[in-house]
Amino acid sequence: MTSASTSSPSAWRRFTAVYALVLDWLLAISVAVLVFPVTLQIFSRFTDLLPHYIWTEEMARLLFVWVIMVGAMIGVREGTHFVVDVWPSSTGRFAAGLRLFGSLSILALAVVFLWFGLEFTRFGWNRISELAELPLWIIHAAWPLAGLTWIVFLGEHIVDQWREMTRSAA
Amino acid sequence: MKPMLTAVDPTIAAWVLFGVFFTLLFLRVPVAVALALACLPLLILEPNLSPMTLVQETFNAFNSFILLAVPFFLLTANLMNVGGITDRLVRLSRALVGHMPGGLAQVNVVLSFFFAGISGSSTADAASQSKIFIPAQTKEGYDLGFSVAITAVSSVLAVVIPPSILMIVWGGVLSVSIGALFLAGVIPGLLLGLVQMATVHAYAKARGYPTYARSSLREFGVATFVAVPALMTPVIIIGGKIFGWFTATESACIAVLYAATLSLIVYRQMDLKGLRSALTDTGRLAGVTLFCVGTASAFGWMLAYYQIPKAILEGVSAWGMGSMATGFFVAAVFLVVGCFLDAIPAIIIVGTILQPLVQAVGMDPVHFAMIGIVSLAFGLVTPPYGLCLMIACSIGKVRMFDVLKDVLIMLIPMFGVLILVIVWPQVSLLLPSLVSPEFLK
Repeated sequence: MTSASTSSPSAWRRFTAVYALVLDWLLAISVAVLVFPVTLQIFSRFTDLLPHYIWTEEMARLLFVWVIMVGAMIGVREGTHFVVDVWPSSTGRFAAGLRLFGSLSILALAVVFLWFGLEFTRFGWNRISELAELPLWIIHAAWPLAGLTWIVFLGEHIVDQWREMTRSAA
Repeated sequence: MKPMLTAVDPTIAAWVLFGVFFTLLFLRVPVAVALALACLPLLILEPNLSPMTLVQETFNAFNSFILLAVPFFLLTANLMNVGGITDRLVRLSRALVGHMPGGLAQVNVVLSFFFAGISGSSTADAASQSKIFIPAQTKEGYDLGFSVAITAVSSVLAVVIPPSILMIVWGGVLSVSIGALFLAGVIPGLLLGLVQMATVHAYAKARGYPTYARSSLREFGVATFVAVPALMTPVIIIGGKIFGWFTATESACIAVLYAATLSLIVYRQMDLKGLRSALTDTGRLAGVTLFCVGTASAFGWMLAYYQIPKAILEGVSAWGMGSMATGFFVAAVFLVVGCFLDAIPAIIIVGTILQPLVQAVGMDPVHFAMIGIVSLAFGLVTPPYGLCLMIACSIGKVRMFDVLKDVLIMLIPMFGVLILVIVWPQVSLLLPSLVSPEFLK
């Protein structure tokens, strides 16, 4: 959670808020669309009205990967990724320090996802999926984008947590 | 697994993997991130591997048609809530059990039971029922701790009663018939529901919790009638799976379509705003849960690379346990692991480790699965990582520690059911053997 500052948010924070809203809509749409290929798959099997689609499963998996990765991106901004809380208090300098450490850990993973995710995307650049013939990079690109998005979202978290920690120290 | 020589000694690798993981967990790093970062040192040190493995293995985990059932069941639950299906089931539950001591808490348990037959997700159940029952129960004079605890504990029925996300994952990962698992869950689920109702009864008698007037026969008839379309869902899903009309994932999609049809056409209570929030809530919860599954799979892959499960097993198989002792051992392992890990990664990591052990003593794979799934259901409400309890506590605005006593009291009779599942395989195997014996080995 970001601690709300009393002054009006900076341009950067406005940008991340808009970006989060876009991701949120993208997520809702992806979940809705996810239902279609699987439905087609079932109905094409039981009726002669529809041809048997062989690309439906691949299409569903592609959307599914994006749902997870976009959900995980939003999860970092909202701090909803599951943590095991063994510490009693959630306030004070120590708790802020722990939160800061958590953010820095996610940042480390974000860098790995960005760097190696780009390689992963390049790897899928000239390849297409077996059935639906979708370019594979469309799926692979979710990893570097997740890394980049986490870095974008973590920036303000880290600043807030650092301030909270140093403020409580004073 | 590849019998190649690893640069890092497997014993050291095990210490690094588990050491880094638990240290990071302790320092409040998100579980998913801790699992991924635990792999990193070895991925860098091992000349044959690179951090690319982390990306590749999370991709492999997500690129799965089976796991697609998770967002579908979450979406079903969310649609039920915004579309008025839950309201009808509450009305029916009240007509059924409202006159018993602790009426509203009984309704809470029975609703979880119905809900479990429609959605396969306990987290979805905990999230939606906490919002309904915790405020309602405290308003009627129930203790807050009791209300939070019973809501969380009853929500675990969703993973034992079919359909169940855990059964789908278990069936997919360990190659067991999902249809057989669905059938196997019915009796243990019923027994868990009954002991929970008995627990509520005892609490209500001891603390003088309120009771509703008995519903008239007419009200009972009307409540049943309006709930019939909703009650058809389990028949469609489980029947469709068992008769082979559709796969487990497709059955979850059918549940979504059916819930959407009821909400939009039959009950007509869903608006666009409700639909959007159902979709976003689904995506968010699916994202954080399944991301965890992805990094857990990478972690499991690392364990397999160093053949660590095999090394652990060699020690355990030397104990020479019989079938029943192995059953208790499996339950103990899943109960402990369930305290710390989400159920899906627990199945992927621990289920695969234990499988050869139970195969060696000739335990039926479906029986093994039910012991594992019922034990993991306990883990959903046991700290430090009890997802359903965390959700109920956050909605009830209490600390987990404050409701722990009530949760533990409620778990005691449920332990009885777990023991029954272990010592008497027929509790799980009776229905599958009657309906579809070809699914059993």
